Amino acid sequence: MGELISPMAGRVQEIHVTAGQMITEDDELFIIEAMKMENAVYGDPGIVKEVLVKVGDKVEEDDVLAIIE
Amino acid sequence: MIEKDFSLHPYFKNMAGIGSELARTLKKNVEELKEQEALIAQEVERVKQNGKATEAMNEKGEWTAWQRLKYLVDPGTWCPLHTIYDPLENEEGNTGVIDGIGRIGGKWAVIIASNNKVMAGAWLSGQADNVLRVTDMAKLLHLPLVWVLNCSGAKLMEQERLYANRRGSGTPFFRHAELQKLGIPIIVGIYGTNPAGGGYHALRPTVLIGHKKCNMAVGGAGLVSGMAPKGYIDEEVAEALIDATKKFKATPPGRVEIHHSGTGFIREVCDTEEEVLDEIKRYLGTLPSYDAEFFRVGEPTEPKYPVSDLYSLIPLNQKRIYSMPDVLARLFDGSEHLEFRPDYGPEIYCGLAKIDGYLCGFVANNQGGLGTGYPDYGEYDGIGGKLYREGLIKMNEFVTLCGRDRIPMIWVQDTTGIDVGDTAEQAEMLGLGMSLIYSIEQSETPMMTIVLRKGTAAAHYVLGGPQANNNNVFTLGTAATEIYVMHGETAAAASYARRLLKDREDGKPLDGTIGKMNKIISQYNKKSRPVYCAKKGFVDEIVAMPELRNYCRAFVGAYYQNPRSICAVHQMLTPRLIKG
Repeated sequence: MGELISPMAGRVQEIHVTAGQMITEDDELFIIEAMKMENAVYGDPGIVKEVLVKVGDKVEEDDVLAIIE
Repeated sequence: MIEKDFSLHPYFKNMAGIGSELARTLKKNVEELKEQEALIAQEVERVKQNGKATEAMNEKGEWTAWQRLKYLVDPGTWCPLHTIYDPLENEEGNTGVIDGIGRIGGKWAVIIASNNKVMAGAWLSGQADNVLRVTDMAKLLHLPLVWVLNCSGAKLMEQERLYANRRGSGTPFFRHAELQKLGIPIIVGIYGTNPAGGGYHALRPTVLIGHKKCNMAVGGAGLVSGMAPKGYIDEEVAEALIDATKKFKATPPGRVEIHHSGTGFIREVCDTEEEVLDEIKRYLGTLPSYDAEFFRVGEPTEPKYPVSDLYSLIPLNQKRIYSMPDVLARLFDGSEHLEFRPDYGPEIYCGLAKIDGYLCGFVANNQGGLGTGYPDYGEYDGIGGKLYREGLIKMNEFVTLCGRDRIPMIWVQDTTGIDVGDTAEQAEMLGLGMSLIYSIEQSETPMMTIVLRKGTAAAHYVLGGPQANNNNVFTLGTAATEIYVMHGETAAAASYARRLLKDREDGKPLDGTIGKMNKIISQYNKKSRPVYCAKKGFVDEIVAMPELRNYCRAFVGAYYQNPRSICAVHQMLTPRLIKG
């Protein structure tokens, strides 16, 4: 079980995963927007147990975006 | 026994590593970048296929310019430039010349060939500026210039677009004279018929080698035959011209009987296509150049990471951030470097790296967040790609040091501009940007620039942009390149925000103004993309990602072949200031 954390403070612009989805290390999971720039968030391979944010949420650096198992 | 090592080897052997292994392949990004590169390749192919068919020319015993270059240039060293440059949108799709940097018999040269497939290599609109770009490259790199000439003179139907003017077709004649004044030799191999402008082209070089069927003259045979004193053409004049043309049997003036046996302008007359090119090679062999060992500070080494990783590292989506050190790691020998002031001006990377064993200075725009508290003069967080006070000061210092140490420089641009607003003005952005321009100008250092992605606003100029005519040797773009004064949406807002407000206050519908704003955005998008940038000359070539390092090698190797001034490696200050 691992926590997928936001690498930066910003706003959740896009979510490309749902609970139960299998992901690989090459999958783009979230887009965090900050200062008009987009940051793609990737994770380790596994299954998404829970997505903890929704589009438009403001997040801080190291906030947990999803739980991967 | 001789114990041997490079000068100042403790600095340049086993330097710090830069970048890291590719974490993931971004398949969609790879595909999109390659799609863009395929579009550019189509444009290049269109230029190559333009004009007469290669087979038809070969059947008549004539090679095309492309075939001549292939025979002349050492395999694997040709770095084409201005391939689709066509600033005045000629029907031919190019300016009538093909040029680039390559090695001939192991020596770097700037090379230009008449595109004899199109109108027998005629002067076309935009060609003068293309040739001036080429002579500038030879001048800045102190590199021999080679012409493979086959020029039928001006395209008479559009003389008003190319003949006169300050930077018109006569200007290159003076530039060629300037090159020789500066001690830069020009070698030409002449093929075919070269009247008028072609003839003057032929006489510019230091050494002339002629094919046995070549000729060069102040005026061609056609000019001698067809005077029309009435000032217009009517049936009578047309009939007279038909008669005169039927009877006209004169051979073209200025054949080898005149200019080899008579005037002695042409040194060698060769029977075959190959022999002309072989003679060019032979003359290149006689020119002064340093052995590579003389200036190297290390053994040439490939980067630790493959240059093809760039397809995954550089997002085509202009809003996506990425790691500039990871990009640089794909260009530097051994993926090693010495970074200049890494704890100051975090938006900018400055550092020394080896390219093919030669020392080179690099400046690049770091990307992404810069952390809170920077810039220290503003109440906002800085972002990579923008220029702030410390980054501008750092670049001023680095450029000045590279100039002092005679180290060539490569700029890797991905910039959204210089910081704006009253706090930024108070922090002297305007003055520091102009200071950087002064630092570049006074450095007298040859530079190459890669507009990796965005080239925007005044930052595109100050980051070693092509506008630095006395420094910038050439500028490359990539499939991700966009060049504009500002983003299209920003421009639309700047142009129409007040109009929107007025529409609202006047109770008018907003549709009309919104339509105009979207038109601006669309135009900006269309006129900032790679193919447009290359056609208009905003960049000198769009290069596929895996080729970027080859151009770096060509630029740096060419610089060190015969530099105008040198600084002994052990007398350099830059590495000492980095080490502390």
